[in-house]
Amino acid sequence: MSAARIRAAFADAGVTGRLHAVDLADPTRQVAVGADEPVVLASVFKLPLLVALYRSGIDLTRRVTLDPGDRSTGPTGIGGLLDPVTMSLRDLAFLAITVSDNAAADALVDVVGLDEVNRVLRDLGLTRTAVVHRARDFMRSLAEDAAPAELPAALTDPVVLSRLRALDPTRTNRGTAREMTSLLTHVFAEDVYEPIRRAMSLQVWPHRLASGFPFDDVRVAGKTGTLPTVRNEVGVVSYPDGGRYAVAVFTRSASTAFTLPAADAVIGTAARLAVEHLR
Amino acid sequence: MDLLRYLRYFLVVAEELHFGRAAVRLHMSQPPLSQSIQRLERELGVRLFDRDARRVALTDAGRQLLPEARDVLAGEDRLRGLAERFRRGEAGVLRAGVPPDLGGRAVAALLPAFRERSPVELKLREIGTAEQLRALADRTLDVGVLRLPFDVSWLSLGEVLTSPLGVLLRPDHPLAAAPDVRLADLNGLGLVLFPRAAAPALHDEVLTTCARHGYTPTEVHQAGTAEFALGLVLAGGAVALHDGVSPPADVAWRPLRGTPLLWRTAPAWPRGRHTPAVTAFADAVAEVLVARGMRPAEGTLPRYPRPAAEYLS
Repeated sequence: MSAARIRAAFADAGVTGRLHAVDLADPTRQVAVGADEPVVLASVFKLPLLVALYRSGIDLTRRVTLDPGDRSTGPTGIGGLLDPVTMSLRDLAFLAITVSDNAAADALVDVVGLDEVNRVLRDLGLTRTAVVHRARDFMRSLAEDAAPAELPAALTDPVVLSRLRALDPTRTNRGTAREMTSLLTHVFAEDVYEPIRRAMSLQVWPHRLASGFPFDDVRVAGKTGTLPTVRNEVGVVSYPDGGRYAVAVFTRSASTAFTLPAADAVIGTAARLAVEHLR
Repeated sequence: MDLLRYLRYFLVVAEELHFGRAAVRLHMSQPPLSQSIQRLERELGVRLFDRDARRVALTDAGRQLLPEARDVLAGEDRLRGLAERFRRGEAGVLRAGVPPDLGGRAVAALLPAFRERSPVELKLREIGTAEQLRALADRTLDVGVLRLPFDVSWLSLGEVLTSPLGVLLRPDHPLAAAPDVRLADLNGLGLVLFPRAAAPALHDEVLTTCARHGYTPTEVHQAGTAEFALGLVLAGGAVALHDGVSPPADVAWRPLRGTPLLWRTAPAWPRGRHTPAVTAFADAVAEVLVARGMRPAEGTLPRYPRPAAEYLS
């Protein structure tokens, strides 16, 4: 049975994994492994954020300026730049997905509002998903909770990790694997979300979901999420025969190492086992 | 009816033989107390008191029932007291797991060290880290002693203690001539390790650390028992990792220079299921392991954090 093989793959990679996969052509066909357990979304929260943005009716060609003094920081995109950037809201949305740009995402939260994101989630019937803070808030809480130890070294200390709010699904942005495939199903059904689908298909990281589908004719559109010991990706795998499968994989690694290729790759391995079962 | 409450009224009235004084002691007024005694009499189907204008006296039935009522109320006290002791973690059983390679002496020291700290009965099971995690999850274990790393997302950890590792060598191996060994010196030798399936993350971490320090084993042998590991070392061509606490007699133990490899061990229990007995156990584990030469982990983690995409900048 595929669920047992998926569990074995997670265990072999040294992670605890939750997965839900569904055939977009026939939603009754599913694979579930811990699919209803609460999980930490990490940067996957940018997906519900963008859904709320594209439903809002806001003029997305509106340009905003992000100043280095008050925008959020991050390793990629505008978050890593040095100078002021002026850009349209829809281009910020593109960066928030393709390179998981924290500065862009948080600027969009300022426009949409967290209340609106949560209202949209409730509208969609996603009662176990909640976005309670922005990227910069969980960065700040990491530093607060790790104190007096210093980042980033403290993030390899298991005792420190066990007290981080950012890693506790009851206190941070959260969801379930099943609710994330519901969200993906919605995003891949409505025309208004075409820009989100495009950005997901241009996401730069190949090491997780996409690594499970090393076939040039199979497309993977995804959004990753990463925090210490947390490695996630949700996305849709499209085959040339028209088969499309929404997959959500959330993992927690035993090892606290930042570089853990096996833990990244098992997201692809598990997704492929699930998709092969559905095909 | 709330029999216990009415029995308490009965007891006080029987002691005072005066409704007014009994009502004062019970912080209530006299009419409801009289009504309560009447209700109790109806419930039991017998009269407990003879009352007239001047005096209140126990009936024969009241006299006989009085010690029984005292027993019932004393039983309630015992029940509540025991429940309170459980609540405070002073009674009951603590089910704890310890890893098989902790050693008989450590287990022998753990029991009295725990008994000094807690009146709770300690039930120890000898099981490995992976199995302990399953048992903690399905609540057949209250606390465990686990070898890191494991997924801590649902657990609270006690103090993490480390034991620096050395290697077991054949006594006639040239490396045994030196007081310590660099990992890179081991190139050309195989490595005897526990079966990967027992703890994949730790298995991979050991091999990654070996590679980081210039040692890539010619072969990784998976040995389920210490005896088998010893056999592979004696057969030649391989080394085994060992913490140096009473190493086997017929091989040479040498520390690794710079302590690149450590076993990290910590008590762990499911978050939110902390009791005083768990604290007592975690403290006892720390005492016993420190007595065996293990040291607090702080500052000793051989880690090389580097920015990871998405959250560190």
